[in-house]
Amino acid sequence: MAAAWEEIRRLAADFQRAQFADTVQRLSERNCIEIVAKLIEDKKLDVVYTLDGKEFITPSQISREIKDELYIHGGRLNVVDLQKIINVDLVHVEAKANEIARCDRSVQFVLGQLIDANYLDRISEEVNDKLQEAGMVNILELCKVYDLPGDFLTEELSKRLGKIIHGQMDDFNRGVLFTPTFVSRHRARIRGIFTAVTRPTPVSNVIGVYGFQEHIIYSVLEELVNTGRLKGTVVGGRQDQTVYIPDIYSKTQNTWVDSFLQQNGYLEFDALVRLGIPDPVSYIKKRFKSSKLLFLRAACVGQALVDQVEASVEEAVNSATWTDVQPILPSCLSMVDAGIIVTEAMRRTNVQASARVVRDTVVISEKFISNCLALFDEAMQNKAQKEVKNNPVFLITEDDLKQGSMMMENSAPSKKEKREAERKKKTTEGSGSKGGGGGCNAREVRIRKTKKKTRRDEDSDEETVVTPQNRNKQTEVRFMTLEEIVAVLEERVCDCPEEILSELAEQLVRPLTKTYQEVVRTVFMSSTSSSTGETRKRSVKDFQEELSNLYNNIRLFEKGTKLFSDETQVHISKHVLKTVCTDVTNILVNFMAAELMMSVENPSSITNEVRLKILGKLPEETKGPLMKVHNSLNGKAIEDFLTSIEMAVEVCGFMLKKGDKKRERQALFQHRQALTEQLKEADDPALILHLTSVLLFQASTNCMLHAPGRCVPQIIGTLMGRISEEHHRLLTGYQALVVKQLVGQSQGRKQGHGDGDNQKEGDEKDTIRKELVSLTGEVKDLVLSQKKTSGTEE
Amino acid sequence: MCLFASFPSVTSARHFHPVMADDATRKAVSEIPLLKTNSGPRDKELWVQRLREEYLALIKYVENNKSADNDWFRLESNKEGTRWFGKCWYIHDLLKYEFDIEFDIPVTYPATAPEVAVPELDGKTAKMYRGGKICLTDHFKPLWARNVPKFGLAHLMALGLGPWLAVEVPDLISKGLIKHREQQGS
Repeated sequence: MAAAWEEIRRLAADFQRAQFADTVQRLSERNCIEIVAKLIEDKKLDVVYTLDGKEFITPSQISREIKDELYIHGGRLNVVDLQKIINVDLVHVEAKANEIARCDRSVQFVLGQLIDANYLDRISEEVNDKLQEAGMVNILELCKVYDLPGDFLTEELSKRLGKIIHGQMDDFNRGVLFTPTFVSRHRARIRGIFTAVTRPTPVSNVIGVYGFQEHIIYSVLEELVNTGRLKGTVVGGRQDQTVYIPDIYSKTQNTWVDSFLQQNGYLEFDALVRLGIPDPVSYIKKRFKSSKLLFLRAACVGQALVDQVEASVEEAVNSATWTDVQPILPSCLSMVDAGIIVTEAMRRTNVQASARVVRDTVVISEKFISNCLALFDEAMQNKAQKEVKNNPVFLITEDDLKQGSMMMENSAPSKKEKREAERKKKTTEGSGSKGGGGGCNAREVRIRKTKKKTRRDEDSDEETVVTPQNRNKQTEVRFMTLEEIVAVLEERVCDCPEEILSELAEQLVRPLTKTYQEVVRTVFMSSTSSSTGETRKRSVKDFQEELSNLYNNIRLFEKGTKLFSDETQVHISKHVLKTVCTDVTNILVNFMAAELMMSVENPSSITNEVRLKILGKLPEETKGPLMKVHNSLNGKAIEDFLTSIEMAVEVCGFMLKKGDKKRERQALFQHRQALTEQLKEADDPALILHLTSVLLFQASTNCMLHAPGRCVPQIIGTLMGRISEEHHRLLTGYQALVVKQLVGQSQGRKQGHGDGDNQKEGDEKDTIRKELVSLTGEVKDLVLSQKKTSGTEE
Repeated sequence: MCLFASFPSVTSARHFHPVMADDATRKAVSEIPLLKTNSGPRDKELWVQRLREEYLALIKYVENNKSADNDWFRLESNKEGTRWFGKCWYIHDLLKYEFDIEFDIPVTYPATAPEVAVPELDGKTAKMYRGGKICLTDHFKPLWARNVPKFGLAHLMALGLGPWLAVEVPDLISKGLIKHREQQGS
């Protein structure tokens, strides 16, 4: 009961309290807003709306709230977040934040964030922890972690260095913090590694291998190098190419270079590059500033070496010899470099004019060359003499020379052909001096001529073998080929290697040719001048005699031809024209040419073309008739030739002695005599047949005959009836065997020499040969015995 | 005995109470907790229970009034809760008119509603019994009767005295029968 009343009493008290509690003063929202607006308008109130418009807030409250929030958020607060929390327009928040940052020293406004000193201290402590743990902290990383600008962080952290952060900042790179232990550890390692290094080492390699901090290594390295703790140099700045070169290395390098240069007198750039000197030229220039080095393409050489070369060059020049510098020079020098040295040496010794360089290294003094030239003088004279005698025409013009020489080559017969030609020639000879007439002189001339001719042929043969390539190359060179020059030099100049000889020969070819041409000219001039004069008179007489003899012979030959049928007559005429008549013409032309200093020693060597050339040079009055003679040589009739030659001889001022009976007989006798002589010596069946038939013909008809080999059957044909049948049969049999043998030979030639003839053919040949041999005597006897008989008859 | 009994027709006309029409009053009343215990002062134990409910209802009512910026009376009781006294006020033309009030709990309470007296105004208005007891409207009594025992003192204040003051005070002021204290003083 009491409790109940107690409760009542309490309730009563509550009631009183409730009644005396403050009553809430209520204003409608609209009114409030009006009132506040009015107040703000009258500047009686300074408040700020919250963003939702439900609250007003005073500026001081804002700044207090900002401070509170800053504290709550641990000293760092973004203005945007702040604006969300305070719920006031950002402008007010920012303004207030700036104001706070301005007024309060410990608070800073960074990147739209409010940061106070506590926060920075805490960060610094964290950084310190990290630093102590890792030994190094990169501020850039910190920037990322804390999302703060690097400069700000650097500044703030550096303020706290030594207080909160126990470490140091890299002097060069302010973006890194180190602990002293870390630095000293690095320093110790760097010191160790670079002390151990003995060869140039890229710093980046060391960093790669040992994981150094790039920031530290450079500054530490620099410091160590500068203080002299490390003996070496850092080359290449602070890039990746930075190379540490230890002094010991450069020292050994330098000693090597020095000693090499000292010992060998040269330096090869390649060797320096191999040693690790990147720019050898500038290195050498720097290192050997004082000494005069000669820089070449791939090396440089010292004074001593150049002096040596100079000395040897000088010696060569002074002693008129040659020298090869190659053995003096180091083997590594290229030819080009050697050449540079040689030219340099020559420049210094001032002997450019009196020596020349061959194959870059060989120096030959001009004196030596002229000495060499002198070696050829004699040979040159000899050769020139010979040349002048043989081919004056070739001196006429260069073109002629060329043509002539080419013709020589073309006409140069192969050996076999030559043999046949010789055979033919022999018969011709015989025929040339057949008959009794007083052609003694002529015969001698002829024989001498042939001898010469053969010799000459041999000569030219040789020449054609030797010279062709030379001719093709250099048509005017007629003196000696390179090989010949080399050969001569080899003989005369001792201890010269062959290459140098050939070089020398090359050097000599041109001057030799030149001087040779000079010599030839002078020799020619002198010879022609000497040949004229007193000898001329005599020679004219001889010449006239010879001409007459030949002329008469031709007439006799012509008579002989008449006894044959037309066809054979043409053949024989042609043959006569080509041989004897041509000879006559040549002799005549040559004689005329001699007046113009174009004569050839051996007129028979004059070819058709040469003759034409000479004719071209002759004066008009003699040219026309001689041209006619020349043309008639290509005709068919001997008579035409005879008439034209008579005219020509007259024009040329000679006299032809027409043959009388006595002379004719003499000519016939001589001709027969010559042929008989030949027959006695001959052992070629074809030749024997030819001679025999011709002799028989002469004996039977008393007419001289000069016929080609292929006309032999016709001759034998005409002999029928004039000699006894027995003899005739013998001849025809012999002829058949000769034909067989010739056919066999030509076949054998066609089939090739060695394996072509089988047993059977060999046998056949054998038998033919045996028969021929057995018959030869009889056939010879035909003539020889007849001669006797005829001789007895007479 | 009511003076108006002899003039029922007039009374009924003059005593039209705006309670039913006043939304604010109705809302206020609806927010007052209803009582449960049906007992009077004589019922000893049950009266305590009733009294407790009365207080809780009153406290609630006062709090509601305060929160609605509508505080208009002070009330306290004797120890037994049988006699109540206090004051009420009314604001008219920005002037606050204050009156003492008192009333006893009848023996038949809650069947009979207490008669609130405003002694100051005794004799100044017709709507008052002798001794200053206010004349409640015809609507009040049936309303109370229908709501026994759910209505209590709080309801009495809200539905009885409040409306009466709202009608009578402006009338009396305009008649010059009551004057503001400061004016009275002067």
